[in-house]
Amino acid sequence: MRKKKGVTIAVIVLCVFMVFALSGCLGGREINDLEIVIGIGVDKDEKTGNVLVTAQIVRKQAAGSSPGSDGGGDEKAFWNVSSVGGSIFEAMRQMTHKTGNRLFVSHNQVVIFGNDVAAEGLQSYIDFFLRAREMRPTVLILVAEGRASDVMDAKPDTEKFPAMNIAKLVKTYGYTSHLYKVNMKDFSECLMCSEKASFAPLITVSDNEGSKDVFVPGMAVFKNGKMVGKLGHGEVRGVLWVLGKVKSGVITVPSPDGGGKAILEIIEAKSKAIPEIIDGKIIIHVMVEVELSLSEQTTAENLATVPAFGKIQDASEEVVRKEIMAAFKKTSELKADIFGFSEMLYKKYSKEWKSMKDNWDDIYPTIELDIDVASRVVTTNLLRNPASPKEGEK
Amino acid sequence: MSIEKGRISGSQLLFMFAGFVQGSALLVDFTIGITEQQSWMVILAGLVMMVPFILSYAALAKRFHGKNLVQINDMVYGRFLGKVLSLYYIFFLSMTLSFNILDVGELYKNFLMPDTPFIFLLAVFAAACAYAVAKGIEVLARVSHLFVITGIFVIVSTFILLIDQMDFSNFLPLFELPLIRIIQGIHILSAIPYGETLVFFMIMGRLNNTERAAGYALGGLLIGAMNLLAVSVRNTAVLGRTQSIWTSASFQSIRLIDIGTVLTRMDFLIGIAQTILIFFKCSLFFYALATALSQLFGLKSYLPLILPLAGIEVILAATVFQSPVDHAVITQNAGIIYSSPLIYVFSPLTLLIAKIRSLPGHERGGGT
Repeated sequence: MRKKKGVTIAVIVLCVFMVFALSGCLGGREINDLEIVIGIGVDKDEKTGNVLVTAQIVRKQAAGSSPGSDGGGDEKAFWNVSSVGGSIFEAMRQMTHKTGNRLFVSHNQVVIFGNDVAAEGLQSYIDFFLRAREMRPTVLILVAEGRASDVMDAKPDTEKFPAMNIAKLVKTYGYTSHLYKVNMKDFSECLMCSEKASFAPLITVSDNEGSKDVFVPGMAVFKNGKMVGKLGHGEVRGVLWVLGKVKSGVITVPSPDGGGKAILEIIEAKSKAIPEIIDGKIIIHVMVEVELSLSEQTTAENLATVPAFGKIQDASEEVVRKEIMAAFKKTSELKADIFGFSEMLYKKYSKEWKSMKDNWDDIYPTIELDIDVASRVVTTNLLRNPASPKEGEK
Repeated sequence: MSIEKGRISGSQLLFMFAGFVQGSALLVDFTIGITEQQSWMVILAGLVMMVPFILSYAALAKRFHGKNLVQINDMVYGRFLGKVLSLYYIFFLSMTLSFNILDVGELYKNFLMPDTPFIFLLAVFAAACAYAVAKGIEVLARVSHLFVITGIFVIVSTFILLIDQMDFSNFLPLFELPLIRIIQGIHILSAIPYGETLVFFMIMGRLNNTERAAGYALGGLLIGAMNLLAVSVRNTAVLGRTQSIWTSASFQSIRLIDIGTVLTRMDFLIGIAQTILIFFKCSLFFYALATALSQLFGLKSYLPLILPLAGIEVILAATVFQSPVDHAVITQNAGIIYSSPLIYVFSPLTLLIAKIRSLPGHERGGGT
């Protein structure tokens, strides 16, 4: 009886201890003590050559106010804190001298690398972002055309936080397919493959009558972690056609009568790329299927006819073909396999790949692309005919 | 003399086998660095390779109905050699249990509760296992299907949530790796998730009917292996070549779940499932260790050993490795070597000797 009582007391004492130790309160941090980071910029410090990290921190008091009220310096909903260190982690910890609290990066949306850092190579800068426990692998990567710290200060009036605005710009890439969102996991995958190139959206600041806006002019191309060039909007879409990542966008073709333009919206796009080696020559068969809608026309001609549709479809197929070829030409000049043809060959021709691997940079520009595009205009939206006089009434 | 009165049914054995193998889901990561995109093959090959050994466990359980491992060893090898072999088994059980407790500690330290003192995590987990073991094998058997269903639910739901991020070309090329790496992978897989089912030597004696033990054991093994396969396929399809760089590929792939920016941060799912499944696995290990030791020392009950053993296992887990790197390297290399004779040699050998000597013969049904 006494023994049973002793066990009961021991269990109760243990339970009380467990409440304190296992409730998670040991690592608990109050929201007021958190410096919530929503964006991180990485630059080279011009004076010391060390890493300059800029963290965009939410100012909790100002964050609740409406977007229009943060025009003044003191009313900003965010606080950009910078710190210099020998490494990113060191610089992040150095920031506590300014913030008083450790940075909480779990809600970070974007990491922007400055042009100088990207040119030097991201291999030595990206480890922290992959390794840190709080960091998410879905954080987006961007490259600033100038300095990352400048980009992190610019935003439209409708947004409170520049970092959130940048993340939104990238996440909505599908409207044009002129850029593509690349996260930490995607980028690290490319870093692990020396033959395959990777890309990340470029971001730049434009001066719009005194106010600073950010703009994505294309994508930065990386080879072995180093930025080697840039792709413009059309070239990026050329890459995305092959990768099957085109979501939507606009294709403009001349109207069949030559009197105006037909503007088509991409409804759906599918693609397949199959490598083939014929007598030592590498041929990549690219098959693209596009569904389009006639979204606008600048001619009085009725384009909703079978012959007109045929011509529009042919013209749109040519646009797609040209975009793919432009992207291939540019990446051939850069010797950067952004399409991942090396990986396709490795997967299909793993034995032959071994002999190509070492000379891949020289082989890549010699690849022949066999592009087969099939487009279909599936809707004319709300109009059957344009609002213009009928044929006989002209 | 029997130190355990509880009885388990064949279907309970099936779920116990399945839950036990599921508990090793995180250990699949051990082979990823070696077998990369071909890990799924290794899981299947390891399963096929283990079938004869599992059949030998079942044949022994049937032959020596109602007997546990220590009793069988005494009968087959004689009192002295039998005890030495039983000590070897006990060493294996003890070390493997401490490694598994350490796995839980590392899981929490790395991903879930980084600021909680490590030793406290280990102690609480061991205490929970000790409590379950004290309740007896029947209680664990009765709830085993719940553990299995929880594990399957988490694996299936995460698989579905990640399906849009899967690239099945990540499995190509199919036969690229050197044979030696595949063999090494198969060895690790057969020794760790499958080979550890040696613990059932201490449990199958409690079966109320050993006639269909082999079928239930193989069925459970198959369910467990399919779970491991689903985990491996999910990780490879989602993470591609990066799967080998992460501390835990499963955690990393689940961290990628992002459905409309609403369904994100699902890490807790795998935290819960893994805790439950490793708890089940460790409890079975703990039970096997406690009963084997009490049988060896001729105790009437294994209950007095539970708390001291829990303490020893926690200390072992906390001190046995200097770092997680040590843990991975030693488990992948030394760990599978010390367990190999027990898995691949002694169970078929015991069966062979028992057949030659026509054991248990007149001792059938008797105690030692």
